[in-house]
Parts: sequence; C-alpha cells; structure tokens
Amino acid sequence: MRSTHLDHMRLAVKLAKYALDHNETPVACVFVYEPTNEIIAYGMNDTNKSHTGIAHAEFMGIDQIQQRFGAENLVEILKDTVLYVTVEPCIMCASALKQLGIKRVCFGCGNERFGGNGTVLSINKDRSTISLNENITYDAIPGIYRKEAIMLLRYFYVRENDHAPKPRAKKERILDKESFPPMIWSIYIDRAVFAQEFGLENLIHYDENTDLTDVTNHGVAWELIDGNCDDILDSLETLRQNSQINSHKRVKSTK
Amino acid sequence: MVKKALNLLKIDFKKCIVENKLQQIKNSRTTSTPNLINVWTIEINPKDSKYVLDLIRSKTQKEDPISMLHIKRIKKKTSNDNLPSLVVVIGSVELFEDKDSVQSILLEHRKQLTYSNLSSRHKIPKESPPTKELMLQWSEEYWPLVWRGNPNDQILNDYTFDMPFIEDILQKIHKLSHEQHENGNGYPIVTAFVDPNDPTNCVYAYDKRAEHGSSPLDHSIRVGINAVSQRLKEKKNVINTDHTDGYLCLDFDVYTTHEPCSMCSMALIHSRIKRCVFIEPMTITGSLKPESGDGYCMHQHKLLNSSYEVFQWVGERFKLPEISQTTCC
Repeated sequence: MRSTHLDHMRLAVKLAKYALDHNETPVACVFVYEPTNEIIAYGMNDTNKSHTGIAHAEFMGIDQIQQRFGAENLVEILKDTVLYVTVEPCIMCASALKQLGIKRVCFGCGNERFGGNGTVLSINKDRSTISLNENITYDAIPGIYRKEAIMLLRYFYVRENDHAPKPRAKKERILDKESFPPMIWSIYIDRAVFAQEFGLENLIHYDENTDLTDVTNHGVAWELIDGNCDDILDSLETLRQNSQINSHKRVKSTK
Repeated sequence: MVKKALNLLKIDFKKCIVENKLQQIKNSRTTSTPNLINVWTIEINPKDSKYVLDLIRSKTQKEDPISMLHIKRIKKKTSNDNLPSLVVVIGSVELFEDKDSVQSILLEHRKQLTYSNLSSRHKIPKESPPTKELMLQWSEEYWPLVWRGNPNDQILNDYTFDMPFIEDILQKIHKLSHEQHENGNGYPIVTAFVDPNDPTNCVYAYDKRAEHGSSPLDHSIRVGINAVSQRLKEKKNVINTDHTDGYLCLDFDVYTTHEPCSMCSMALIHSRIKRCVFIEPMTITGSLKPESGDGYCMHQHKLLNSSYEVFQWVGERFKLPEISQTTCC
C-alpha cells in the first residue's frame, strides 16, 4: 500500500473527527494535486448548520480550489487531482466530481444509503454523467482507513440517538467497537485495479473480503479517531495556502 | 382520498397522463420483481384466530411502518398431520426487532394464547403489484395477496394538480429560458422552486456556468437550492427546524426546463422535494426517465430511502431554445 494514501487519508480522518467534535456529520476530505503531491483543498460536511442537505464535504473543497485558482481552471486542475474522502461520495458528489473530470477518488468506507461510487450506483463509470476533460471515467478506490471512518459514523449516530425525540431501541444505541461488515472490494474495483493500487501481495484481501492488514494492523487506529483534532483545521489551511500548482503544468490564463 | 370516478381531473390511468398534459415518469423496471421484507409469523389453532386478529387490528397494524393492507394476514398451513393450523403475520421486522418483543406483545394481549413456530423467516412483497396477473404470481411465490387494483391508479388519483398554476409557472420558466438565450447564455436552463407554504413567492434560478467566475457545476437546480437557503438565512428565525425537519426544500415543487442530470436529480433527493416537473427530456444526460441516459430513475430508486414525484409536460408544446443533448442540466 502506498504510504501517500495513508498520509493523505489520515488528514481527512482527523478533519472528520474535528467535524464530529463540532456537531457535524463526521465526513471529511482532502484534495491532492498529484504532480506536486500537495493538499490544495479540504472539506467537511456543513449540512447541519447550512440546512441545505447538499453542503457536503466535497463541495467545500471544490469551492476552495475555485476561489484560490479561479473557476476557469477548475477542470484543468481536477484532471490531475485525487480526492481522499472518509466516506464514499454520494451520488450527487460522485456526479459533480465526474463532471469536473477528477483523476481518482480514494475513500474509507462505503456509503450504504447514497453511495455513488459503487454502493448504490456507479456514477464514476457511467455514460450519462459527462466529464468536461479527458478523464471520461474515474476509479474509486475503497478501504483506506475504512474501520476508522465507520467508527466515526457510529460515534455520531449513537450520539444522535440520544437527542432523538423517540429514542430508538436499546440495541441500536450500544456502540459497537468490534464487529465490522466485510470489505467487498469487488463492488468498487476489479482485481487488476486492486493489484495496481495495493500490490499483488495483498490480493488475498480482495479475494477474502478483508481489510488491508498494514493499514492499522488488523485493528482500528484508535489514537487517530479518539485524539484531539482541534489543530487540524489550522494545519490544513496552512498546507492549502502554501500549495502550488506546478509551474510546468499549463493552467489556462484568466480571460 | 377521492374516488377515481369522482376526480374532476381527467386522468388516463393506462398511459398515466393527467389532463393530457402531464406524463407521470416512473421506473418501469421495478415492477416485475417485488421488494421483499421479512415478517414475524406464528402458527395457531384456527379457534384462536379471532384473538390474534384482534391484536393485529388494535395494535400492530397501526404501528407497523410497513403497510400490510395488500396481503392476507392468515395462511392455511399445509401440513402432514391432520391438525388444522394457521400461519398468521403479526408484524414486520421493522416493527419488532427481535423475538422477545413479539413474545411480550402476544403475552400482554392474551396470556393463555398457545402458538408455535414464532419466526421471521417468511417474506412478503413490500408493495402491491401493478397487475392482477402479477398479484397471482406473487401470491404463489411469496405470500397470499389481496387484489385492490393497480396501486399506481390510486397514487395518481390522490396527487393534487393545480393545472392553471402549473401552466403559469411553466410558461414563466419557458419565457425566462428564451430571455436567457437572447441575452447570450449558452445554457438557457431555468428552474422554479415553489414553497408549499408560500407558493406565490417562488425562487427562479438560472444556469450560471457560462458566467465569468462561475463553476461548471452551477446548474440551475444547484443555484436554486442555494438561493432558497440564502433567502431563509436572510429572514432570520424563519428556519424552523421542527417544520422543515432540517431539510430546506421539504415538500417543495420544482419546475425546470430540462430533465436534470445525475448530480441535480440527487440534490433534489437530498433536499426532500415533493415533485419535479420538467419540459424537455435529455436523452443522454437525463436521470429521471427510464429511457434517458443510464435509466437511473433517480426519483424512485429502490435503494435510496427517499423519493419524489416526477412529471414531464406533454401538453401544448413550450418550445425551448436548443441545447446540446450532452449537456448535464
């Protein structure tokens, strides 16, 4: 497994934890410009505060790229950009990313209700969502810090239930820290893509629907999701402000 | 609920067209195989059936999130021994999450009731099938059903249509689309958002992707949802979370010139709108009609836990400025 996957996703997981600590749905992302391997944007959910239901983490990141580099360069930049997001993008976001011609998406856990990269629909590989650059389709690689992403969602839902007017049955409210659903890789990627991303030596995980061992040594990186993440916003903001779009990359000049 | 014969609107139930003007758009493929759900059943002696039916009528039927008006509650058991026995559906697995809760409600209702084989292994179709033939087939395959006519007839019959209002608003977005076109907007796509609590004060949104500084994702529907949000933020205290349930466009009607793309049709799901009416189908990028694009029928996708009504205007034609079929709207 490429360590860059882990490095970038770790930042997204920390930001998701930050969101959780601030009463938002714990879903977050970072956008990495591949030629320079730099974070050019980040995002977390803002659905509770904004009341729109469409203020997903991905859109906050896209807005940042647009503000910093200009709307007219968005599609050109996204062509070489990889998204790391803790939860599989929903159908709406998967479609937005495809229209902008993103290079690749890496995510933690599947989005059981709305997933647009394989769980409900595979927008990333469809024909009706038209890309605006030469990335006609994109691969969506699952399983990076998957258990951590699931745990953050569980933390959120257990808490949610406490506030519900009619609390759900007890069974649902007990925080499950041990069992995880199998990781069905084949819903999202084929064997060849898996091997290319994670190496031939890991194919056993693909075949047996298990998590990657070296991510967190079979367990959960508790220190990552139980730690204090209050400084993550500042760190990401600094990274974003310092990021460069490689000068040798041709970015269309503004009109 | 109005009886079909008493409905003042002219509805063609076969073609699903209202007043010769609005074509209901639905997923034609969902009908042949049912969505199934497991139910809790018990086996009882026929003489006890009245107690169990009484329990169902007085309690479980009302509380069950799954409607069971389309199934027969009782099935005769075909057993080898000569003892007559009935299998009764008590409630869905959504009502009772485990065996204990079924047992306790049975006990609470009638202490001396004897029953056997309490289990959740039986599956019933979640909804009624559209045809009598299919009803007989599903009854054979899954669980005995009751035929009450095509459920879609009743659905269509229960919808409300203020035809003059609908035509007015379509006329308006049609006109705005031409204005946009004449003003040089290469994407003359227009959407109107109608708040059920304030229908005269609707939000009109234009596709802004061609504007300088705008993103290629500034489709009219996304622009409109953000405008609705903005409007509410400006009027402080108007966001009543009890009323909207946290969803900004809850129960809105959305009128749009062009069939929405996968992004926008899903944004409408997230916004919990009630109805979307469009004029022009988009054969390549559309996400609502079964014939459009990848045939997503996003507004009634089985796996999404929310849906909205969709109609295409098929009345006297609103001729819109031409746009490429590969445009995501």
